[in-house]
Amino acid sequence: MSLVGATSVSTNSAQEHPSKDSPDSIFLPNFCEARMVLAVVLGSELLALVFSLVGSADVGFLTELARISLLMQWLGLTSAALLCLLKPPLARVSTGVATSMILAIVLANILVLSVGVVWAGRWLGGGEVLGMFPADFWPFVFRNLFIGLIVTALLLRYFFVSHQWRHHVEAEARSRIDALQARIRPHFLFNSMNTIASLTRSNPSQAEEAVEDLADLFRATLNDAGRLLSLKEELELTRIYQRIEMLRLGDRLHVDWDVKELPMRALLPGLTLQPLLENAIYHGIEPLDAGGTVTIRGRCSGERVEISVINPTEKLAVDSRHHGHRIAIENIRERLNLAFKGQGTLDVNQTDGTYEVTMRFPVTG
Amino acid sequence: MTVAARRLLIVDDEAPARERLERLVDELPEWTSIGSCSGGAEAIRCVEQEDPAVVLLDIRMPGMSGIEVARHLSRLPTPPEVIFTTAYDKYALDAFDSHAVGYLLKPVRRERLESALSHAARLGDAFLSELSLKARGLERRRHVAARVRDELRLIPVSEISYLRAEQKYVSVHHAGGDDLIDESLKQLEEEFPDILVRIHRSILVTIDAIEALEKDAVGGYHVRLRGEGRTLAVSRRQVSDLKSRLGAKR
Repeated sequence: MSLVGATSVSTNSAQEHPSKDSPDSIFLPNFCEARMVLAVVLGSELLALVFSLVGSADVGFLTELARISLLMQWLGLTSAALLCLLKPPLARVSTGVATSMILAIVLANILVLSVGVVWAGRWLGGGEVLGMFPADFWPFVFRNLFIGLIVTALLLRYFFVSHQWRHHVEAEARSRIDALQARIRPHFLFNSMNTIASLTRSNPSQAEEAVEDLADLFRATLNDAGRLLSLKEELELTRIYQRIEMLRLGDRLHVDWDVKELPMRALLPGLTLQPLLENAIYHGIEPLDAGGTVTIRGRCSGERVEISVINPTEKLAVDSRHHGHRIAIENIRERLNLAFKGQGTLDVNQTDGTYEVTMRFPVTG
Repeated sequence: MTVAARRLLIVDDEAPARERLERLVDELPEWTSIGSCSGGAEAIRCVEQEDPAVVLLDIRMPGMSGIEVARHLSRLPTPPEVIFTTAYDKYALDAFDSHAVGYLLKPVRRERLESALSHAARLGDAFLSELSLKARGLERRRHVAARVRDELRLIPVSEISYLRAEQKYVSVHHAGGDDLIDESLKQLEEEFPDILVRIHRSILVTIDAIEALEKDAVGGYHVRLRGEGRTLAVSRRQVSDLKSRLGAKR
């Protein structure tokens, strides 16, 4: 058991779970892992060093270090082995019971080993000459038990807190991803409904198609927030969205697709390109009397994809880039960032008459 | 058609929305549509010529928003009653609800249309200006309207160089000349805080129209207006505010 081990576990096991032999419900790290065994060895040695630094001066420092190390390594490794074996039953009981049981196991182990050490010394007979074995029996055993109790309790507390903290971090990350779930703008929804209401009589087959398109788009927003789509699927969703908007805006809306270069199998979080087109239309094209053209330009160089959405803006654009827009941009940026572990970016570039948003991410999948 | 069908005008930038409203109105015997317009300026001209009783006005339109159109219409000698239509505009809807002003949500139901038409009312200017303040950025005016005899003259806000309060009116100095409008400087200053700056108790200047701030021999400040070469006196208490505004701009 060691401080070093605890830190390495708390940072690593987040990626490793779920695994069957380490139930996540218990706060104890997995002592069966090779990494953890190494941590136990190092931690035990550190403790041995500390104890020998404060140790008695009647034998030399190195002798003191040697004998305490020997005992600590035995204690550390056997305790780790016991906890490795007993983890499954410990995981089934409550935290309080498990804590008591672990303390009991470790203390019993210390008792057995301490007594063993004293007996071994007596049996070998030359203990006092070597300076390796304790002369007194009970003080030695009790001292070990007491130190063991304190150190084990501290470590358990540490494991417990870091386990709680990890849980908290994971829950937070999950809820952040959920909160970033793509949504349909109410403005778009109700306008589309209105368009469909109008088309039902004037052009029923177009109305039918619009309902199908709207259903596809909706289904995509109901997907798991963390799910990745292929570029092909995302482009298709964006085209579906465009089709619905064309019904409403007529020839005020043109979209220039320049995406032949893109690797269609590359993965990205669902509904990241579509909202960029939605923004371009809502903030760029709709306020323009004569409408305009949105350009969607895809480039792929090496292993990175770059997609830009460019729209014209009003000359006298007062604060048209308001709150909702910034939230949408931040949302997409965050999702790209989470999905590509810091490798996905979103940049906004605004010049006098145009507004350009570019997302970049590595090719995966 | 029955004897005295009341006349209404439909204004919406989206063709399917216009068509649907036209069709709904056609089914109401006591109403007749005199046509539909796709934009605000066109709608104002049409109202001036045709004098409909009611205008069904979409809030979100390119160029001039429905709220702006309504504000200009309210300056006509016999303004029409106005019913706003919208798919979704949270701030505007809050304002309508708190003032019990009728509006229609798209897609519009026939019964709702009938009931709204029977309760249609002229909207007060105070309410309309409050509305555009609330929904600023979304619905702020791009024009101010001057009444020249019975006609409305729309002055683009971007062409205003300065406004001066006279006894009863405010005179607007703009690229196309000078006109009188019936609004207060305070109201205009609140509506366009990022465009206009007060340099004097009775003068608002467009920040972008200021070429230079000059100090004269006796320590007084003047702004020189771009292009015109005309200068306006800055009151002592506005100097520091004006300097910081100009500093932020450059």
